[in-house]
Amino acid sequence: MIELRNVTKLYGKVIGVNDFTLTLGPGAYGLLGPNGSGKSTLLNLITGQLRPTLGTVRVLGESPRNNAGLFRRLGYCPSSEGLYAGVSAFDWVRYLQQLQGMTAQEAVKAAEQALELVGMTQAMHRPISSYSRGMRQRTKLAQALAHDPDVLILDEPFNGLDPVGRHELTTVLRKWIGQGKSLLFASHLLHEIESLTQSFLLICGGRLLASGTAQDVHAMMVGLPNEVALRSSDPHALAALLLREHAADSVRIEEGLLTVATPQPGRLFEQLPGWLKASGLEVSEMHSADESLQELFNSLMKLHRGEL
Amino acid sequence: MGNVAAVFLFEWKRALTLPRMMWWGVLAAFPVFIVGVIRFTTYQIPPREFWAGMLYALIPMLVSMLGMLLWATPAISAELERRSWVYLTVRPNGGTAVLLGKYLAAVTWVIPPTLIGLSIAVPLADTSDGWRLWWTMARLVCLSCPAYGAVYLLLGTLLPRRALVLAVAYTLIFELIVALVPAVINKLTIQYRLRALLVEWCDLSFPGPGGRPSGVLALIGDDPAWQHVMTLLLLPPVLLLIAVAILRWSEFSTSAESDV
Repeated sequence: MIELRNVTKLYGKVIGVNDFTLTLGPGAYGLLGPNGSGKSTLLNLITGQLRPTLGTVRVLGESPRNNAGLFRRLGYCPSSEGLYAGVSAFDWVRYLQQLQGMTAQEAVKAAEQALELVGMTQAMHRPISSYSRGMRQRTKLAQALAHDPDVLILDEPFNGLDPVGRHELTTVLRKWIGQGKSLLFASHLLHEIESLTQSFLLICGGRLLASGTAQDVHAMMVGLPNEVALRSSDPHALAALLLREHAADSVRIEEGLLTVATPQPGRLFEQLPGWLKASGLEVSEMHSADESLQELFNSLMKLHRGEL
Repeated sequence: MGNVAAVFLFEWKRALTLPRMMWWGVLAAFPVFIVGVIRFTTYQIPPREFWAGMLYALIPMLVSMLGMLLWATPAISAELERRSWVYLTVRPNGGTAVLLGKYLAAVTWVIPPTLIGLSIAVPLADTSDGWRLWWTMARLVCLSCPAYGAVYLLLGTLLPRRALVLAVAYTLIFELIVALVPAVINKLTIQYRLRALLVEWCDLSFPGPGGRPSGVLALIGDDPAWQHVMTLLLLPPVLLLIAVAILRWSEFSTSAESDV
């Protein structure tokens, strides 16, 4: 479906994407990376808005740059808003479908169906300026879905959506994937991607750091240096125990919560029950101290550079 | 062509708002106001040559040029600033359709108020040969609007981030200064062609030998009218082709700078 070979994109001296090689078959994929990691540049390359400085990009076997035939099979929802304030969702989606090559009548039908799919039927004739952020997101998604593309590319589509809206759009996209269509979904939140697909691409600093399933990502998080927070009946004794067992590089105790920097979280999780049983200590709560993925990305970047 | 028509109709529908209609009215009213002020503040009705020059300066020169500058120049930059460009370019030949559709919308938006203003201003001037003046100015408007539209659209495509600055600089330097330089370079301006057609079609005469002294000839040339007309008719398609080529070659990413 998508093939990138040694793709580099430079903005002057700034690297947007760095020596990116990737082959994706048909299916649903999540592109996971922190803000500024190169996700949008990658999607701009895939949708033909940017030319790679080096390397080649192929989508459905063709170069996406100025490729009218390919654009008929591609649906794209960018992260930026870019809607016309004074125009209604219906007029805008219909207009974009006419640009897609549909007749006026076909465009009306496609716009109505797509807006109904994303739950915008009631408000579709109101000007976009009167919409909430969530309604604008739904409208953006409708324009990408309306011409029934083979490949759907979404850049942070859940931004600004409330939990109900997220659930509804997740259902829509699951149904889409269920029809055997392909999806590439960019987000900086693991759980957003996890709700749609088990196939992940991890990107940071313009590089593809890793790819795999959700289990692989979690396993990576366990296998890389991390901070773990533990609430215990005796945090000082537990800290001493973990230092004695060489399971912690450093410890700190704040308001009864012990935070441990461990080089091998996997070993800690594996052996902690045995150590607790032997020492008679109790742990009532345990979680990763840094729940964002930034730590994982930092670790993967170090791993990529050979620093770990 | 279907997607060009879609852009054209969409742009026209978007233009039917109160602020834009007011601009439309201002374009139509401006020459009428100036002609009215001159007509009712002078004791003697100015001669035909005066009205020809005044109507030319007000309508094919000022109103057409200003109208096209305001409408055609930001065709691409407005979409980039609004970040709506990306939705248009991921459509089959979307960028080209937007460029051509917006060009047609701009030309058809500017010509009507210009002709309305002309149709009121000419009778108001109460000059002899009013019909000939109207017919000359109407033809000049229909040649100047498409030509200026294409020039401004090309400038806006060439440098969308500084489109209006570039268009104003072009207008001041080329169309208002270079066009009046009595040298071969003035032949590169649209004003030179329009001015020559004005003199030819209105059969204006000037003090001096044969009614066309050498000073005037340097500003209007002695090429036949059909050459000027052909140049003005060929200019828009050529410039639009160049604009489309630039558009297809350019990269207009709308990603936030922080969101690489």
